[in-house]
Amino acid sequence: MSDLKRLLENAGLDGWRVSETATESYELFFVHKNLETVRATDTVTTQVTVYVDHDGKRGDSTFSVYGSMTGEDLKAKIQAAAARAKLVFNEPYELPEGGELEVSLPTNMDTADMKALGREIADAVFAADTVPGGSINACEIFLYRDTLRVRNSRGIDKKQHVCRVMIEAIPTFTTEQESVELYEDHRFTTFEPEKVTAEIARRMREVRDRSLAVKPQTPLTVNVLLRPQEIHSLLSELAYDANYADVYSHANLHQVGDDLQENGDGDKLTFCLKAILPGCEESSYFDGDGMALTDTCILQDGVVKNNYGASRFGQYLGVKEISGNLPMNISLSAGTLTEQEIQAAPYIEAASLSGLQVDLYNDYIGGEIRLAYYYDGQEIRPVTGITMSAKLSDVLSHLRLTAKTCVEGAYEGPERLMMKNVAIL
Amino acid sequence: MPFSAYLNSKRDDCRALVEALGKHFAFVSVLGTDVSATVIRADRKSSAVQDGRGECGFVVKMHDGRSFFEYSLDDISGDKEALAEKIVAAVQVDDSLKGRMISTAALADEPLKEDFARESDFADYSDEQLLTLCRELSQELLQKDPQHVLNAIAMIQPYTVSKLFVSRNRELSQHYGWANGYLVVVYNDEKLVQARHVEGEDHIGLIIENLRKHTDGVIDLARHLTRATAIEPGVYDVITDSSISGLIAHEAFGHGVEMDQFVKDRALAKLFVGQYVASPITNMHDGAAAAHSVASYFFDDDGVLAHDTQIIKDGILAAGLSDLASATQLGTAPTGNGRRDSYKRKAYARMTNTFFEPGQDKLEDMIASVKHGYMLFETNNGMEDPKNWQIQCTAEYGIEIVDGKLTDHYVSPVVMSGSVPDLLKSISMVSDNWKVIGSGMCGKGYKEWVRVSDGGPNLKVRVKLG
Repeated sequence: MSDLKRLLENAGLDGWRVSETATESYELFFVHKNLETVRATDTVTTQVTVYVDHDGKRGDSTFSVYGSMTGEDLKAKIQAAAARAKLVFNEPYELPEGGELEVSLPTNMDTADMKALGREIADAVFAADTVPGGSINACEIFLYRDTLRVRNSRGIDKKQHVCRVMIEAIPTFTTEQESVELYEDHRFTTFEPEKVTAEIARRMREVRDRSLAVKPQTPLTVNVLLRPQEIHSLLSELAYDANYADVYSHANLHQVGDDLQENGDGDKLTFCLKAILPGCEESSYFDGDGMALTDTCILQDGVVKNNYGASRFGQYLGVKEISGNLPMNISLSAGTLTEQEIQAAPYIEAASLSGLQVDLYNDYIGGEIRLAYYYDGQEIRPVTGITMSAKLSDVLSHLRLTAKTCVEGAYEGPERLMMKNVAIL
Repeated sequence: MPFSAYLNSKRDDCRALVEALGKHFAFVSVLGTDVSATVIRADRKSSAVQDGRGECGFVVKMHDGRSFFEYSLDDISGDKEALAEKIVAAVQVDDSLKGRMISTAALADEPLKEDFARESDFADYSDEQLLTLCRELSQELLQKDPQHVLNAIAMIQPYTVSKLFVSRNRELSQHYGWANGYLVVVYNDEKLVQARHVEGEDHIGLIIENLRKHTDGVIDLARHLTRATAIEPGVYDVITDSSISGLIAHEAFGHGVEMDQFVKDRALAKLFVGQYVASPITNMHDGAAAAHSVASYFFDDDGVLAHDTQIIKDGILAAGLSDLASATQLGTAPTGNGRRDSYKRKAYARMTNTFFEPGQDKLEDMIASVKHGYMLFETNNGMEDPKNWQIQCTAEYGIEIVDGKLTDHYVSPVVMSGSVPDLLKSISMVSDNWKVIGSGMCGKGYKEWVRVSDGGPNLKVRVKLG
């Protein structure tokens, strides 16, 4: 493997890129409160892309390198990839150049013993298992230490260290009549035991509410409040549409300058993609090409402000300041919606969805709601078994955003997004 | 193409590692994987020939007479005693957790040595031939309606699987291939839409033949989708195509009978084995040996031979799907459903080829029986809820049925949701045709992706659409 760079340099290529991720993990799998499986991994994933200029075009091809490969194997793979690249006739583009970097995402987990850390995280999760009638029926804890390194033929050699944790927990509530559950996926790069316990405890309370939830009288038309995870899903769909690659291939719906909230009477959407969000495992100082990332405003006051994406497609589109392929870390500006305004009319606050369905092409937003809180103008009660459905353009035109903000996962911004007059079945 | 030469060269290393770790654990197995995938793609402006998502590495599974341990690594060359010591140290737990380890019966390790292989025709096609074909298909689509087709993508993705399983008493190898072909059109006629057609076979020749047959169809679908409207939310009589039947099988009851969920008390189905959960004309299967498709392996990632499991028999829930860990905890025989995202990930109980059996009805009679409803086509996505038996399935599009006839009115997208037993008990007609579609990826929760197929006949159901 140490020969890889030398082999690439001597292969008569017009360019190359090596992307390598070394991962150590320690994983605990609980069934109820008991430990079923203990796993550990020590692996490296390496991808090599070779670039060959021919016939006025640029060809490229990517192959995987495995730890088992010999120098001769690598040489053969490089030659085969070069031959494949000669079959590809893409418009010319330059690889990003220069720059050495070694950085780490902020963490307090880089030196701790993984076994001890795993136990501490398990303790923090199960400390929330105190609700009478409630239980955590399954819990998976993944501790990862990744080192991502990107090198290319134009001098880039960048390395980023990430310590991250993913917890999948299943809060469950059981009565004589039935047993219900919710799904909890909690990710972080800095371990704060109290925060983990509080997050799981919140879900434990919500799953108890799910056991009390009933289907409301439907159909009804009502305001729907989305929480950060679903706000992130909605805005991600708008952001994907702005990627250089989609614009280049004519697959995007909206162009720069298009107003997505034309004639709207709600809060205007302004959001950016950011390279770094505190505590977010997706944060990165550079993209897969090793290119430095520039935070980019996608929507300003409802109008598409910029596209974003990888260097190659940015060059094709003639973008002067290419953003790099930013992670889907979304920063949404605060709105004006107050708690008093929320309480002024009936609403449904979606606490758990099967998955928000957003279809830009068909102007649709909807999904099955597994747990929601329904305020009918007098009291708040948990509801379940309902489906929402709306025209996306209507939602965008009239949506409201709370003035109060939060940071959660790959999202920072208003705590709630209100969709007006949504059909509930 | 033959079985991986690399894995063949590692048989002695696997045996030696099993031996070395056998001093520490009652049961040890090593799974070696060598999966290669290729993506060949052309569109209006660009093309690609490159490796797809492959893998090459090893995962060691151990059982100490009570609990399970796994270790994933890239290579097992070198001193096996030293490697065994490293593995033993890596899977230790903090002292305070030792008292919380589960306790199961010892694992069986029935003797078996066998090499399995299924032929494909991948070696008959060069990268250049396949890329040329993709370019031709892309150009053909672009030229069919130059005014409206903004882009046309043609793609072929062959992949080959070699796996080696070694334990003290078993040594199994398998080799097979599968390929998918895709046509995607970006079409704009006052409304921008994407239409697609997917093929899956273990012979590229068949994929090429079928893709060529469907270029007109995908353009025609795109034209209709530009005219598609939103559906009026409501409860309707619905006829499903094979893809949507498969999506129902997969989401409604496939995930619900993955028996690792039984162990965790996460599946309501655990309480309903032997009871009616669907209409009496409903029969459903899963298994790598149940159909010939993308998930038709010979043995699973726990070294258990492929099965054909009948999940629902005449409307009654008959059996579930298990991996080695869940079967051991439940005291049942594993069903060959232990699957991993890759050698880097844990094995779970997973679906393979999941489908409803065909019935007696003719599709035309089924459509004729609907006063007002929809026929739904093409899986977009779905989400399971095994604990509470809710379901959400999204179809790419539907066609309205009025007075027993398909109209020209398309709706898109269509989200089908509701209660699983309500949906399955509403099955009132089952067609006599049958198809399994081998192009799907399935996650468990929101991770652990494996290739699956699903399908079946046309079903007539009554369900909430929105």
